[in-house]
Amino acid sequence: MTILLIGMLAIYAAGIVLPPCFPGRPRIQNMTAHGLAAGAGLVGIVLGIAGLLASAPLTLSLPSTLPFLTFAIRLDPLAALFVLAISLVGLAASIYALGYVTEFYGRASIAVLGALFNGFLLAMILVVIADNGFFFLIVWELMSLLSYFLVVTEHEKAEVRYAGLFYLIMTHVGTAFIILAFLIFFQAGGSFSFEAFRHPEQPLSEGMRTLAFLMALIGFGTKAGIVPLHVWLPYAHPAAPSHISALMSGVMIKTAIYALIRVYFDFLGGQFPWWWGFVVLVIGAVSALLGVMYALMEHDLKSLLAYHSVENIGIILLGIGAGMIFQTYGLTEFAALGLLAGLYHTINHAMFKALLFLGAGSLLYATHTRNMEEYGGLLRRMPWTGVFFLIGSVSISALPPTNGFVSEWLVFQSLFLSFHIPTVLLKLMLPLAAAMLALTSVLALTCFAKAFGISFLALPRSSHARQAEEVPITMRIAMGLLAVVCVLLGLAPMVVVPMLDRVVAPFAGMSIEGKVLALDGWALAPVNVEFSSLSPMALALLLIALSALGLLLVVAFGGLVKQRYYKTWGCGINLTPRMEYTATGFVQPIKRVFSTLYQPTVKLETELLEESRYFAKRRRFEFHIEPVFQKYLYDPVVAFFIGMAERLRVIQGGSLHLYLAYIFVTLIVLLLFAV
Amino acid sequence: MPLLTPLIGSQMVDLGSALLLLTCFAIVAQRRLSSCVDLFALQSVFLALTAALVAFLTGIHHIYIAAALTIVIKAVVIPRILKRVIERLNVKRELQMNVNVPTGLLICGALVILAFFITQPIIPLGFLLTRDSLAIALAIILIGFFMMIARKKAVTQVIGFLVMENGLFLGATAAAYGMPLIVELGVFFDVLVGVLIIGIYSHRMQDTFDSVDTSKLTTLKE
Repeated sequence: MTILLIGMLAIYAAGIVLPPCFPGRPRIQNMTAHGLAAGAGLVGIVLGIAGLLASAPLTLSLPSTLPFLTFAIRLDPLAALFVLAISLVGLAASIYALGYVTEFYGRASIAVLGALFNGFLLAMILVVIADNGFFFLIVWELMSLLSYFLVVTEHEKAEVRYAGLFYLIMTHVGTAFIILAFLIFFQAGGSFSFEAFRHPEQPLSEGMRTLAFLMALIGFGTKAGIVPLHVWLPYAHPAAPSHISALMSGVMIKTAIYALIRVYFDFLGGQFPWWWGFVVLVIGAVSALLGVMYALMEHDLKSLLAYHSVENIGIILLGIGAGMIFQTYGLTEFAALGLLAGLYHTINHAMFKALLFLGAGSLLYATHTRNMEEYGGLLRRMPWTGVFFLIGSVSISALPPTNGFVSEWLVFQSLFLSFHIPTVLLKLMLPLAAAMLALTSVLALTCFAKAFGISFLALPRSSHARQAEEVPITMRIAMGLLAVVCVLLGLAPMVVVPMLDRVVAPFAGMSIEGKVLALDGWALAPVNVEFSSLSPMALALLLIALSALGLLLVVAFGGLVKQRYYKTWGCGINLTPRMEYTATGFVQPIKRVFSTLYQPTVKLETELLEESRYFAKRRRFEFHIEPVFQKYLYDPVVAFFIGMAERLRVIQGGSLHLYLAYIFVTLIVLLLFAV
Repeated sequence: MPLLTPLIGSQMVDLGSALLLLTCFAIVAQRRLSSCVDLFALQSVFLALTAALVAFLTGIHHIYIAAALTIVIKAVVIPRILKRVIERLNVKRELQMNVNVPTGLLICGALVILAFFITQPIIPLGFLLTRDSLAIALAIILIGFFMMIARKKAVTQVIGFLVMENGLFLGATAAAYGMPLIVELGVFFDVLVGVLIIGIYSHRMQDTFDSVDTSKLTTLKE
């Protein structure tokens, strides 16, 4: 296992160093960088599985000359699970990149892009296996910085630079809070090693524990994209090249989930007051709902997916929050279930979100636009991409037989188990959270009905879409790989659950594998089989059987089905793309219903014909939704700092003599104080 | 009985320091640029003599080297460079000031009082025969600093900086019989290089702004 680990790290390192060795030959740079990354990804998958199955965690340590810093590595089941996820998505993204970055030949340095890509993957792997707080912070920061540089790959565009700056500021604010949280542990433990964080010399006081909880929540929450710290996602994720978006949205924001579980269940030992879990639950519910609501209004396909990351982080936190609440009341089985559900969704989201971002990248590759209003009819032109995007859409909408359905079902079940909690408030709140999750799921389904329907069905809406062609084979392979994983994770929970159970068991203190898997693993149950149970496999078979039955009935009663190709019936007129639903039109009802939240501003200009006022020459329709968080939360803060800077500008006179006088006066004052 | 008792020696060091301070005032009072440079050269000579006296009284030989270097670099080389810069740049002879001469002198007087006031509690703790010079050294440093603020031309600011450096040298000699030789050498080198750089920099300023008036640098601000 050690060899696997070192081998993987070495291949990534080679992937950083080698591409710049072939200057001026982008094809070879592309091959080396992404080929090596794919190789490292394969090794990482094996390592992750081995780490999950290993009886004892793998540890490695390398001392450093800096005080408090050791390059310590520990691969326990939790870390191994994330290594597996990162490697799997990394593998797909690498294969995808082989085709995708051909777009960038001549526009950006492929050597730099490839080296950063490998470095980014390496940093993410190190984040989840680091076993020293100092080391963790270094690689965490490295991950943030490398992703920043990847986001600004197309830095010649102003909006990309803005997105990058926004991301850079947000991630550093987050890191500041993480450092504070770690310093609290350091103060008690006297060392930066995670072992000292786990078992400090003098136990943390209740106040300090609460402070650490909040700091970690804000710090890692910024990276994860919880509401209201999510504002950077819809900027940064679309700005990055698509295979990078897939990594950022698929796995980078998951490292924050990893860190939260590490801090709460490992360092803080799973001992919480009830309100901690409650806070996480509420943040989860709000993030889920608001994330999907804003996603609905987006017509930039990648921004839409970025908002869905906010939603899914919310769903993950619902599971973890429920687990924390159960833990408080000693309901260990349910706590383990909540955590397991959250982790299951984490892995699933990594897979289907990466798949969707790669799909969006393919559309971008083929049409050179991210605006959904300019897509249409792409299923006929890009059938493979269409099918894979459909599988991703079905997954994220939590429909059987895919993985999203299974994990969301488990989250629901753990929320429903709230009647075991003795506190009335929580007994009421958890089902409320479940209701919000239900609304979220429905809206997500609407959103992807829109995303898939507007993009792939009907007639092309622009010349971009008309000229689209299917993407290269490498990109299709990458998407296909993730699509297969999505379906397998949904159909085979009997393989997934035992693995997740190995992750959860040390934190919950008990194994619930046998209780979650009923009927020899062919069905799932939320601990108690009598409460409810589900067999994804049977469900899938049932779906297939019902479809077959439907077809059979049609044949039986409607006679033989004859195939006849003809234009769609358009009441005698020729169909044009202008008759189609637009993406804006599709979500109009939802915009009306939730207008309190969106605060839409609609502008309608009509230019009439001079001859007759009854005929319009041209109509212009514009509508914007209010970016509530930016307007009421971020803008005041930014305005405050700029105002302060303006005021402080007075002392920055720009005169050398003035600056000398400042120093002089300071010196005199200090000397007088010294007397 | 030796010619120089410690008491007389200490008195003579004080005298040298006082001469240094006097030249400071002279520089502040001086309106002509080239005279300022001459006065600085004179001050450096006084400094070298004072240092040599300290070396003779204490028998610490490396102070002689420092004194010799002071003569060579600060009394000969640097004034030459400065004079050449003045000629080359056609700097107006008349000094331009932020603070006029009488006010400047008054402020310098106040700075001397301040320096004595600040060092008063420290001096009795010392046991070196040069300890009284510490107050004067501090006064020279403060006056040099003040010169940098009060004068507009880059060249006069260099002189202010060099006066400060002289004050520091005197302070080091007074407080600890000078710094280790290697540090001393480093400082001399720094000062020389500094003056060279500022000389070149003044040329660039002249090219860009047609003046070496540093207050014109405010136009660099947005």
